[in-house]
Amino acid sequence: MTSPDELRDEQLVELCRQGQRHYFDVLVRRYMEKAFRIAFDFTRNTETAKDLSQDAFLRAFANINQFDGRSSFYTWFYRIVVNLCLDHARRRNRVAWESLDRITEEAGEHKELADSTFAPDQQAIASEAKRRVDHTLETMPNKQRTAFLLRNHQGLSIADVAKVMKTTEGTVRVYLHRAVAALRQSLLETV
Amino acid sequence: MKNAMPLQSACKEFEEDLVLYYYGETSDDDSRRVGQHLSGCLRCQGFLDDLQRLLPQMARSEELPQSFWDSYYRETVAKLAQQDERQHWWRSLIPQMKIWMVPAFGTVAMAVLVIGLLFGKGNLSSFTVRPAEKIPHEILADENQLQFFESMDLLESLGKLEAQDEQKPEALSPQSGRVRLQTGTA
Repeated sequence: MTSPDELRDEQLVELCRQGQRHYFDVLVRRYMEKAFRIAFDFTRNTETAKDLSQDAFLRAFANINQFDGRSSFYTWFYRIVVNLCLDHARRRNRVAWESLDRITEEAGEHKELADSTFAPDQQAIASEAKRRVDHTLETMPNKQRTAFLLRNHQGLSIADVAKVMKTTEGTVRVYLHRAVAALRQSLLETV
Repeated sequence: MKNAMPLQSACKEFEEDLVLYYYGETSDDDSRRVGQHLSGCLRCQGFLDDLQRLLPQMARSEELPQSFWDSYYRETVAKLAQQDERQHWWRSLIPQMKIWMVPAFGTVAMAVLVIGLLFGKGNLSSFTVRPAEKIPHEILADENQLQFFESMDLLESLGKLEAQDEQKPEALSPQSGRVRLQTGTA
């Protein structure tokens, strides 16, 4: 007999639709890390990312009958996560990603940025670079940021990013290029 | 971002292609074209090297302990169960209901309806006629005025009839004239 973990997403969705709710738990286990990572990339806050990604699972389950199967489950689900994150960002309506104090505090936690093998001036430059990248990501238009985070951080193909964002692949390419250009510009200003 | 070195500028016409080339999103033709250009352009090679060095670091995220994911999973499943319970609380009643209970409930409901109709038949007036004491005073006052206006209309009609009779005295016999006189005096 096939284990639930071996079932494809669409099979699990179909079983959920038939009232076997516990099969949705398999989808939770399968996508919880990715959902959390997306939410964290948008919010940079562990608790908020946890709440938003869990909320995405609740919404996906509540609307499981609306999933028409034209796209894959994960693009449908990613869209729910991204929309929740963007709604959250709009509600907060703030310009800065984090306060300067918090950035300074976290700079010590990011070992890749503040590596002890580097001289203090290099560490300072790395911290500043990180701060600028974070700030640029936070302040860039939502569509560019979404395209960049989904492609660069989540590893979705441009075709899948286009499905999540409900736009064309050409448009995603433009968003991606603009996002990379903006990030590159912010790093150029650092050095 | 470990090495925050100055970034190389790419040839303008190849910059977007190089970003897509880095992500492996160029078509075969574009890949060949970009590859040929890269073999002879140090600036674009430097730009691509920068992308390969920086973009993966931006995507790097903190590793969370397994206990975090265990807790996350348990919480999410619990929330799903709560949501499911809220949405379908009535479903819990179904397994408790035996099959014979459905017609039994229907029969009881019909019996209650019939008894209600039979015994409540003579008392329908209590639902349709409102007791006078419950009628507001404003409406009662309007009712008195209505009676007044009705009696005024009656008197006016009588006056018109009398006027018509006076206009046709020749058509009336002396007997009927007496009658009119008696009516007028009355």
